[in-house]
Amino acid sequence: MEFLSQTYLLLHKDVRLELRRRESLLTMFFFGTLLLFVFHFSFDLVPEKIAEMAPGLLWLAFLFTGTLGLAQLFQAERENHCLDALLLAPLDRGALFLAKTCFNLLLMVLVELVIMPLFWVLFDWRAWNLLPQLFLVTLLGTVGFCVLGTIMSAITLRARARELLLPLVLFPLMVPVILATIRCMENIVRAGELGDAWPWLRLLLGFDVIFTTLGILIFDWVIES
Amino acid sequence: MRLTVNKLAKAYGYLWALRDLNLDLPPGEFVALLGPNGAGKTTLLRLLAGLIPPTGGAIQYDGIELAGNNPRLRKQIGFLAPADHLYESLTVKENLRFFTSLYRLNNTPGAIGTALEAVSLAPRADEFVSNLSSGMKCRLSIAKWQLLQPGLLLLDEPYGVLDGGGVDLLENFLQAHRAQGHIVVMASHHVSRALKLCSRAVILHQGRLCFDEAKQHPWPSFARAFSEFLPHGESWSS
Repeated sequence: MEFLSQTYLLLHKDVRLELRRRESLLTMFFFGTLLLFVFHFSFDLVPEKIAEMAPGLLWLAFLFTGTLGLAQLFQAERENHCLDALLLAPLDRGALFLAKTCFNLLLMVLVELVIMPLFWVLFDWRAWNLLPQLFLVTLLGTVGFCVLGTIMSAITLRARARELLLPLVLFPLMVPVILATIRCMENIVRAGELGDAWPWLRLLLGFDVIFTTLGILIFDWVIES
Repeated sequence: MRLTVNKLAKAYGYLWALRDLNLDLPPGEFVALLGPNGAGKTTLLRLLAGLIPPTGGAIQYDGIELAGNNPRLRKQIGFLAPADHLYESLTVKENLRFFTSLYRLNNTPGAIGTALEAVSLAPRADEFVSNLSSGMKCRLSIAKWQLLQPGLLLLDEPYGVLDGGGVDLLENFLQAHRAQGHIVVMASHHVSRALKLCSRAVILHQGRLCFDEAKQHPWPSFARAFSEFLPHGESWSS
């Protein structure tokens, strides 16, 4: 209970700071939308091709916008050495990890809620009925991205040129999540259901559960070292 | 709370910032931590706060070693960095509410109001911390630790940003804090101010403890150590 109340307290603080500063969310919105427009003007896609490329293009946009958000994730703690204030406090560091992950997830879901329908509109893709299923799979992939991203963001927190280092460390580790999510999305686009992509979905779920648990357990060590 | 430091050492790469440091501080001790720049004062404070791990040696609070994350122990350790450890985009009141909740204190709005009044910040309770001057941020930090009441309070150069009124306020707070049996360790270059308040003086020089004595009147041994290790410090007389 204490753990959850600490998580809520930290998450509430981050949401309040973001509502005031509007740095991460606005940047992510603009960048994500910009990417979609670049894709739109770069690829002259016929409807059959859209279905083939949509999962990859969407995830490319999510990855880049998500990385922008991750780079800002500990910005408030970097100012005025507020991270020291949190490390001094009688706080379960797992709660700090969970709060940061939830905050990052919230930002990404908000961005995805705008980007996904915009993709449908820009590419004149008529398959609106697939949107809820694709969004659910995307959500699972986003959880994996946020969990691993928060751990990597904390590891590179004190590194010089961390904005450059973060994607270099994060993207190779994200391969299972990206692959599993895209395979699931491809199946949904092709057959309207998950079909033989169930093993990929199980991989995705397993990744989310394992890395969330791992993050809670090791964040104490990660944030101090 | 009793603080015991045994053979404490800290190295940054090949550079030893602290070596073989031993301290034993009983409850109610007020330590003036003195030394020239680069002597290792801030490193010692950060080690005592558990913000950085030691390279060697041990720190114990009431016999419990400061290692890993021990919330019960952490609740007892405070670190007053004059204008730091506050969220700029939260208001004065929100900062206090956030930290008191984090320390699991059930402070009523009245307690926060009283603490703000004590540091003359009550009229600015709803202003963002980013709008405050460094001196006011320091006053807010004083209010924060007044509410949190740690068993050990560490201070790093608190005088630099405070005006006359702020200095009086800080000194009254520290004396009251010590009177409650809490330990205070203050690193400062304001030797005479630190000596006025302290019950014990510790001088660090090149990472080593070279003077550690309880306060006396007169204090010839301190005068000798002062002239040897703090040759460019402010004037001081016993």
